[in-house]
Amino acid sequence: MTLSHYLALSGVLFTIGLFGVLTRRNIIGILMSIELLLNAANINFVAFNRFLYPGQHLGQLSVIFVITLAAAEVVVGLALVMAIYKNLKSAYVEDYNILKG
Amino acid sequence: MIEQIVFYMLAAVIILSALGVVLLPGVMHSALCLGLCLAGVAGVFASLGSDFIFAAQILVYVSGIAVLILFVVLLAGSASDLVTRQINEQWLPSLLICAAFIWSFLRIPAYFSGITAKSDPAPTVRALAGALLGDYAVPFELISIVLLASMTGAVLFARRKAE
Repeated sequence: MTLSHYLALSGVLFTIGLFGVLTRRNIIGILMSIELLLNAANINFVAFNRFLYPGQHLGQLSVIFVITLAAAEVVVGLALVMAIYKNLKSAYVEDYNILKG
Repeated sequence: MIEQIVFYMLAAVIILSALGVVLLPGVMHSALCLGLCLAGVAGVFASLGSDFIFAAQILVYVSGIAVLILFVVLLAGSASDLVTRQINEQWLPSLLICAAFIWSFLRIPAYFSGITAKSDPAPTVRALAGALLGDYAVPFELISIVLLASMTGAVLFARRKAE
């Protein structure tokens, strides 16, 4: 397999995730689509590391940091979703207007 | 030959389950598809020969994040999700934006055409550990502070209000 295959796969995955972020109405669906975006970036990191810089490990180190930050992001995001859901009883983003002054 | 078969099967699993995440009406089905998609990405990491990233992806994403999202779906989901429209009315501009993105993304591989791996994959755990505890010790400690802060924040947001 060549580097191009992995780049194309990650591009397709990123675009699917972007479509989800732009069009889902459910806040949990948006969070899941963001996970797809991060995974597409991770595939790129590992593929460039494998094909262009064999023997070095900086790309894989970046993936470790991205995975850690994604875990932190999804934990805080889901805690916020639960806090909002307790108040509004809705998981749809167009109902989330309590920040209006 | 076996490498091509593995890659195309993994790519089919990833893309189909990603489409399921984005397009399925039930959030529960989306969350299950997300678990499958993350496992497929873990398979891609394994086929690229990065063993530690494969294990971290399985441990953190498939068994951590996907299960966490399933919990929240069970708490915040409702049966009416299956019949409610899940796509907002801006889907046509979004589709055009995504078409522009996919057009540009699929032009990128042309710049890297024909690059194949020169060496067989080797175990990377020892080298990664050396880098994390050597040159990259400061970012490693910083990321643990970020994890601590996010854990504190999550507990703060999710706790029951004191009556």
